[in-house]
Amino acid sequence: MDIAELYTTAELAQIKLEDSEVESLGGEVSQMVAYFKKMMEVSVDALEPTTHAFIKKNRLRPDTFHPSTLADDILEQSPDLEDRFICIPNVL
Amino acid sequence: MRYPTKYDSFVGLEIHVQLTTESKIFCGCRNRFGDEPNTNVCPVCMGLPGSLPSLNQEAMSKAYLVAKALHCDLADTCLFERKNYFYPDLPKNYQISQFAKPLGTNGWIDIVVDGVTKRVRIHECHLEEDAGKMIHAGDMSLVDYNRTGTPLLEIVTEPDLNLGEEAEILIHELRRIVRYLGVSDGNMDEGSMRCDANVSVNTKGAGLGRKVEVKNLNSSRFVRLSLNYEIDRQTEILEDGGTVVQETRLWNENRDQTIVMRSKENANDYRYFPEPDLPPFRTTPEFLADLETRIVELPLDRRVRLVSTLGISQTQAEVIGEEKANADYFEKVLEYGADGPTVATWMTGDVQKLLNRTGQSAAESPLTPERFAELLTLMAEGKIHGKIAKTILELVFEKNKNPRVIMAEQGLEQMNDSGELAKLVSQVLVDNPVAVEQIKAGDTKPMGFLMGQVMKASGGRAEPGMVQKMLKEHLG
Ligand SMILES: [Zn+2]
Repeated sequence: MDIAELYTTAELAQIKLEDSEVESLGGEVSQMVAYFKKMMEVSVDALEPTTHAFIKKNRLRPDTFHPSTLADDILEQSPDLEDRFICIPNVL
Repeated sequence: MRYPTKYDSFVGLEIHVQLTTESKIFCGCRNRFGDEPNTNVCPVCMGLPGSLPSLNQEAMSKAYLVAKALHCDLADTCLFERKNYFYPDLPKNYQISQFAKPLGTNGWIDIVVDGVTKRVRIHECHLEEDAGKMIHAGDMSLVDYNRTGTPLLEIVTEPDLNLGEEAEILIHELRRIVRYLGVSDGNMDEGSMRCDANVSVNTKGAGLGRKVEVKNLNSSRFVRLSLNYEIDRQTEILEDGGTVVQETRLWNENRDQTIVMRSKENANDYRYFPEPDLPPFRTTPEFLADLETRIVELPLDRRVRLVSTLGISQTQAEVIGEEKANADYFEKVLEYGADGPTVATWMTGDVQKLLNRTGQSAAESPLTPERFAELLTLMAEGKIHGKIAKTILELVFEKNKNPRVIMAEQGLEQMNDSGELAKLVSQVLVDNPVAVEQIKAGDTKPMGFLMGQVMKASGGRAEPGMVQKMLKEHLG
């Protein structure tokens, strides 16, 4: 794998990459990509493309709302609150 | 556009429409504007580990309905994908959206620009989840996730528009469409409709130029202003022999100009991939049949029909056709046999004034379509004339009774008994000898005064035509 591509991928995933990690990780990622290459060799011409192997029917939910009973518990996980707002460093 | 013979300008819009549903698109949290921050949140829309999305069928129906109204090809299979990016208003670090297989493609919308119909192609419509809301306060930002995961329909047009004014008209027309369909309130102030645009300018006949994106357009007025600003800015650059930089700019409403938005180099690499937690959606015959029952005559078609078949003016059609409920009300009055132009004149005039005063819509006011028609019938039958009709109209609002009943109770029926009228006329002539002398001497000016005196003596009920005739007989 191209080292520049590895850095780009890490940046997109917001992962900090130490130079020392580049070599070993680069090798591992190359191995994974190579496996996809192998899968690409299989002929799928006769198959209908799908993203799911077994769900053939629509899965739909009726439009009804339920009280959000976990809202307060979720908010409690936040390190910094102002009233019910979650506070974060300014990102603008 | 400053040099219309030298350059072409192209504008495309990406319009986001919030769909009105009870619950969010992938979870059962309430979809409602204005609640206390972070009250409508759950593990699914907050992206907590182990939670799974499940698709709201009503969101799907409403999204397909808009695509149908915009004459799109409806996908028989559409797919949700993950759009990956990091921003604090997006708790999962990806937005569930549609990419390779959107639900609608290849549509169009007609708009009317200076009386001429212009067809703007729709590239696609796709359904996605909305992000949360952030308030920037100094070195802090405050996040509210109530809006996270609410259903959002994105409508992308081809760059078929040429000026800011056209973009503004398109937004207004789309707003009417989504309101007619009952899928969104289309309220830009509350963010239910939001807009991004792309603009390019090029030498005449050379096709699209380098595209600049303009963001942060939260009113239709800003859309017009920012696009025209941007067209002029790009034209000036070309005129000076320069090249337009492909970039994203923000509309700054305080400075009335667009400014460059700094963006990271890789920011647009969203690495879309199919959402493994949601199977593809396939339309069924029942689903499509349901859409047929929900589709309505579109606002522009309706305005055109009101003008061409009912003979009302373009302006009246615009006022009456703005909201579906009003147009329905109007046509309901006509079903009781009233005449289109007369109803339109009253509806956009005196009735509208009263509605403004009471803050009601026509449909919820005491003036039912049946009463409206009855009032006009009383006039047509010669039982009342215009001024009394206005009085009765006000009393309908006040007393919530039928016009005929009010006319009888208040003794407002027109006086057209010639014997009674003759008495009134004679009395007025006796009481005003000076005016009578003047008229006899050849000065007809006091005629109007005498007329007024007779009307006054009859409590406004005398039939004006008869009074005039009698006065002339006496003085002619
Ligand atoms: Zn939720």
